[in-house]
Amino acid sequence: MDDETKSVCEQINYEQLFNTHSKSLFNFVYYKCGDRQQAEDIVQDAFVRLWNNCSKVIFTKAKSYLYTIARNLFLNEVAHKKVVLQHQSVPFNDRTNESPEFLLEEKEFMVKLKKVIADLPEKQREVFLLSRIDKKKYSEISEITGISVKAVEKRMSLALITLREKLGNI
Amino acid sequence: MEKYIKDDSFLARWIAGELTPQELEKFKKSDDYPVLKKINDASQNLKAPTFNDQALLSKLKELNNSEQAKPKGKVVKLIPNWVYAAAAVVIAFGVFYTMTMKSHFQTGFSEQLAIVLPDNSSVKLNANSHLDYKTLGWKSNRALQLEGEAFFDVEKGKSFKVNTDSGMVEVLGTEFNVISRDSYFEVQCMEGKVRVTSSKIGDNVILLPGDAVRVVNNELEKWDFSLKESNWTLGESTFNNTPIEQVLYAIENQFNITLDKSNIDTNKRFTGAFTHRDLNLALKTVAVPMGLSYSVNKETGVILLNSNNNN
Repeated sequence: MDDETKSVCEQINYEQLFNTHSKSLFNFVYYKCGDRQQAEDIVQDAFVRLWNNCSKVIFTKAKSYLYTIARNLFLNEVAHKKVVLQHQSVPFNDRTNESPEFLLEEKEFMVKLKKVIADLPEKQREVFLLSRIDKKKYSEISEITGISVKAVEKRMSLALITLREKLGNI
Repeated sequence: MEKYIKDDSFLARWIAGELTPQELEKFKKSDDYPVLKKINDASQNLKAPTFNDQALLSKLKELNNSEQAKPKGKVVKLIPNWVYAAAAVVIAFGVFYTMTMKSHFQTGFSEQLAIVLPDNSSVKLNANSHLDYKTLGWKSNRALQLEGEAFFDVEKGKSFKVNTDSGMVEVLGTEFNVISRDSYFEVQCMEGKVRVTSSKIGDNVILLPGDAVRVVNNELEKWDFSLKESNWTLGESTFNNTPIEQVLYAIENQFNITLDKSNIDTNKRFTGAFTHRDLNLALKTVAVPMGLSYSVNKETGVILLNSNNNN
């Protein structure tokens, strides 16, 4: 069946949408609010709404529908809330031939970086993290956030400038 | 930080790998490059928290199913259909009613009524009379149905017609008095011009102020009078050579009594007036000049009239 005629109301199609978009939707909301539980709730709400309105949403538009709903839910609930991002801690360097001093410095830098990212304005942060963590192209970010590619690029640049200035020289 | 780096999209393009080799070369030499490179490298190693999508999916399925299973509340229309039907009936009724609406006025014995017509013309209805007219389209069709006696003061406008059983009065001017009872028809014109058409004789007469006409025994009688307004509206009935039967009939209407006229000659004519305020006085003013006597039957309340000559 081609995408144009697929019905969101069918369980299979709905699940397909969920599997394709839920993770990235979750990340998107998480970058915005920095609260895992809240992000999960919003993702859940967005998909419930999609199901309830399944007859009104075209399959190919479901993605932007989901992101729009998630954005609005976020604005309703958690706008202005102070955000503390807690990234999953992963060893970002597993090489062992580095000196302990270097490793320590790297660790310190990671901590600083996380804090500075968390302190970024929400709009810059979501663009930056969608690009860097989810490896999304600017065009895709523009679709997700509902702003133009130009604006995405501007926010990206601003985010880097801010990070650079706050981290200073190493 | 150098200015070109702060450009709107320079760093964004760098991240996307869209810088030209020359730009990249220049950028690599700047002080900012190592830091930015490190930020970029480090941030790419960040991970979003784990997201248990399967758990959420099963939860969603449950939610969606319960949503479906939930009995939907019965939708009750705010305005039930029958209200529309009822409203249509009411409106149709209303339209029908106003289209055919007739105003009806009636006076009982010893009662007078002043009526203002839609065009501000006024009608004074004397005792025991009926008046009907259509309210709708009054301006274009000023026609009334009269039975009894009434005084008309007509406003300017199109023709004003008073239809009676005995004939039709058409106003060419303004004020006139009409009496139409069983076999009697009388019109007095006070102001302006009135055309009287008798249905019995089939003749028509134009009356000028002070002219009056009556139909008695299928004959048209015309006479002059010199009153500005019909006197009954001022509490007195005036007659000019009128058959006595009509005079007595007027007394009956005015005082709500029954007169026994079997003993007198009802074709005699009476000229004069009687007051509406006092029955005794009225009877006297009529009976004495006509040489009549009267006596009251206390049981039936009927007043018996006798001719004095017979006694």
